[in-house]
Amino acid sequence: MRRYLHGLTVWMMVGLFVLPVVWMVATAFKSPGEILNAGARLWPEQISLSAFERLLAGEFPLLIGNTLLIALMATGLSLLVSFFSAYALVRYRFPAKLDGAFLLAVLVIKMMPPIVVATPLYSLINQLGLLNTKLGLVLCYQVYTLPFCIWMLLGFIRDIPLEIEEAAAMDGAHLFKRLGFVVFPLCAPGLVATAIFSMILGWNEFLFSLLFIHTPDKFTIPLYLANFMTEDGTAWGELMAAGLVSSLPMLALAGYMQRFLLRGFSLGLK
Amino acid sequence: MFQRTLLVSALFASSLSLNAAELVIAGRDSSYGDALQFVVDEYQNQQPDTNITLVKRPSNGLYESVVLSMREQTGNYDVILMDDTWAPEFLSNNWLSPLSQQVEDEDFISASFDIGRYPNASSAAYAMPMVGNVAMFAWNRALFEQNQLSEPKSWSDVLKSAEVISQSTDTNGLVFRGVKGNPIVTGFLPILWGFGADVVDSEGQASLDTPEAKQALEAFLAMKQYAPRGVDVYNADEVRDSLQKGSAAMAIEVWPAWVPNLDNPEVSAVVGDMEIMAPPAEVGQPSPMLGIWQLAVPADSNNKAEAEAFLAFATSAEIQKALALDFGMPPTRSSVYHDEDVVAKYRWYPQQAAALSTGKARPRIHNWAEVESILGDFLQLAMMGQMSAEQALKQAQRRIERVIKV
Amino acid sequence: MLFESRKQLTLLLLPALLILGALTLYPILSVLVNAFGSVDYASKHYLFVGLDNFRELLDDFFFIAAVKNTFVFTVVASCAQVLLGLWLAVLFHRQFPGRRFALPIIIYPMMLSTLVCSSIWRSWYHYDFGLLNTVLTWLGLPAQEWLFNPDLALYSIALVDTWQWTPMAFLIILAGLQSIPKDISEAAMVDGARPLRAFMHITLPLIQKQVMLAFLLRSIDTFKLFDKVYVMTGGGPGNATETLSMFVYKYGFRFFNLGMASASALVMLLISMAMTLLYARKVMKGGKQ
Repeated sequence: MRRYLHGLTVWMMVGLFVLPVVWMVATAFKSPGEILNAGARLWPEQISLSAFERLLAGEFPLLIGNTLLIALMATGLSLLVSFFSAYALVRYRFPAKLDGAFLLAVLVIKMMPPIVVATPLYSLINQLGLLNTKLGLVLCYQVYTLPFCIWMLLGFIRDIPLEIEEAAAMDGAHLFKRLGFVVFPLCAPGLVATAIFSMILGWNEFLFSLLFIHTPDKFTIPLYLANFMTEDGTAWGELMAAGLVSSLPMLALAGYMQRFLLRGFSLGLK
Repeated sequence: MFQRTLLVSALFASSLSLNAAELVIAGRDSSYGDALQFVVDEYQNQQPDTNITLVKRPSNGLYESVVLSMREQTGNYDVILMDDTWAPEFLSNNWLSPLSQQVEDEDFISASFDIGRYPNASSAAYAMPMVGNVAMFAWNRALFEQNQLSEPKSWSDVLKSAEVISQSTDTNGLVFRGVKGNPIVTGFLPILWGFGADVVDSEGQASLDTPEAKQALEAFLAMKQYAPRGVDVYNADEVRDSLQKGSAAMAIEVWPAWVPNLDNPEVSAVVGDMEIMAPPAEVGQPSPMLGIWQLAVPADSNNKAEAEAFLAFATSAEIQKALALDFGMPPTRSSVYHDEDVVAKYRWYPQQAAALSTGKARPRIHNWAEVESILGDFLQLAMMGQMSAEQALKQAQRRIERVIKV
Repeated sequence: MLFESRKQLTLLLLPALLILGALTLYPILSVLVNAFGSVDYASKHYLFVGLDNFRELLDDFFFIAAVKNTFVFTVVASCAQVLLGLWLAVLFHRQFPGRRFALPIIIYPMMLSTLVCSSIWRSWYHYDFGLLNTVLTWLGLPAQEWLFNPDLALYSIALVDTWQWTPMAFLIILAGLQSIPKDISEAAMVDGARPLRAFMHITLPLIQKQVMLAFLLRSIDTFKLFDKVYVMTGGGPGNATETLSMFVYKYGFRFFNLGMASASALVMLLISMAMTLLYARKVMKGGKQ
């Protein structure tokens, strides 16, 4: 009995949380006429797919691929680099507290509003000839994702008992072999959790793509979404439909990785 | 046989097009974006070898993007669409490329064309006027007659009429843009100018601490009581909707792009009722505000000749007529203003052409964006009652004095 | 024995050092230099002006308001998110029917683009047609000026941020709860301790680290608040929702006034460094071999 009462409370909370999402889905399925007349209605009178049709006819599918590729590449790069550096920071006490200084610097970068670096970064990316390219964005996103990944992975790697590695070393495994076959599998859940958050960061990034991308065929999803909000008003149907569709890959990813997500966190932060 | 010749020549043409021109155009979103898209499509019909990419950005984003690009000389853009208030900054930094004599044409209304010349009104042109925006004043004649009111000639008349209408009907007396920053400033400027004051004097110094400016701001603040609730966050679409729904009797500032549907029975409740005219003045002659959207070629473009050809095409009489009829874009050529089809569709165009030719540009200073933002901040504080008119102007004056660059 | 040479470990750190150095060292240095100068944006001409920019900042009505608003928003939003997240995590810690389905739903807002989030709520907050006022009126309560009442606007934005980001705090804390060994929580129950007391004295100390982490991550992000304000109010009405990020953006990208933008960015950096120094110290002490 108490269990059901408890369940009821939680589901009521869930219901409250999900209301804006319901409105979003409903608006995505409303016909343009209905959106204008009844902004507050929670459910469409008649299901209309017109917003989705207009989306799919345009460059939206291409841009989803673009953005996914950029987010994946940025996350991959960050994970690889941060895995190495987090390992080094955990296992080795650098002279003159350099490791501490490095971590503090990373934290400062994490705290820094991206706007602060945007202008100088623009010059840099331009000199590298990477304006308006995927690679340029992947590099820029490291400003967000790399500090985050380093701080996340630090905890996970710290939890791997030194003894396991020592045993492997006895058997003759050198550093890179140990990294690949001992450390990596042991903190896989942590890597997954970190990857999801980093994917979300890359998927939703707005400022850098706004400044560094200038042709529509290279737009990322957030830039594309921004186009639905103009001085003439907001194209609610398209905006909500695009918002819905573009959240699905992330949802699928997170849904699939749910168990890793939970396990990942608890391992890392014990 | 004929077909084969065609095929061969087509092949020949396509092999030539290996070195075909490529143009990247930085433009606006919304209706300006649709209009530009139309021009691009038409141009490509005529010049199939030219490869055009059109980038549509909201006004703020467009400004940021072109400034960053021209400063770093990336050569990203070959044609840019720009607000006339950006011109002093772009020109003094040598970011734009001068156009040839050929683009000049007597047909352009000179106030709109000369704004693209630098350093003075007889120098070379650096930009061509695509959209001849000029701020107008809108009032509902039917409602005025119903209340035995006559055409408002001064801002005092406006205030009085607003009071009468608000008291005797359900309609709000007037409406304006109250969002801070650019909207509230452009909403206020016609009143400020109407009282004979200005943000910047003829020497380029801040001039907001004058009695005239104070009168103007007090009149503006008095108008708020006759405006709809929440006018502090009204922007273009809210003003347009209030007018179309008939829920406001006057609009202090309307731009041509907002009004093409006023006579369209599908969306408008006030078909035939509204009058669009140059804004009233309190002292002297009215000075309607120019808001020209210009096309220019950045100095770092790699396709200047092709870009200039596009500019000439986009501002031709033929295109301007189509843009006016299909997109409600106000022309900058007097021949188009007098075109029968155009006048038949927009009965206020003669007044608009007159307003355009006597139009006044916003202060030609380098950092108008910053000055405008400061003024906008303090105007809104006054509007919300957190400061008196005098305090707000004093504070704005002090801050603007410090940042102004002529 | 474990490490053939220290060089190898240093080598591992190198890529991160290079990437972060290349991307941020130059920007941060230029912020430091520009904060004390007057920079002509077009010619890149630099003039040293000492503390002038900072003097001007302190004199600026809107900067002071931005500092205040940012501070209020950070405290209110991050506390709300951590507390709500904590409560939800406790609820989810126990089994209930359909838990597997409830979890993805609860964390969904986090996956949405911020632009979409802000637009949904901007529509809900609409004075005449918004869902919230419709409900309020239906309940016989007065309609609220969610986004244009200067005393309310900042909290309206905080509500949106809380909706979107509570899931993050929730996930972190839930993970912490689930890593508590079963016997400890059962022991607390057997002891006959009352649930609230058991929670305060036994459970909470055990997940203290996660709560702290959630608080740190959320306060860093709320401190940087930008896009929600940009979409929903533009900093208005008046200066009610002006934030430090908005201020830096305005000077950096609307006015291209690099001196003032850098000075305000520097102030922002200093505040956030002070904010997290305590936390960083505590974390860095932890387990080194």
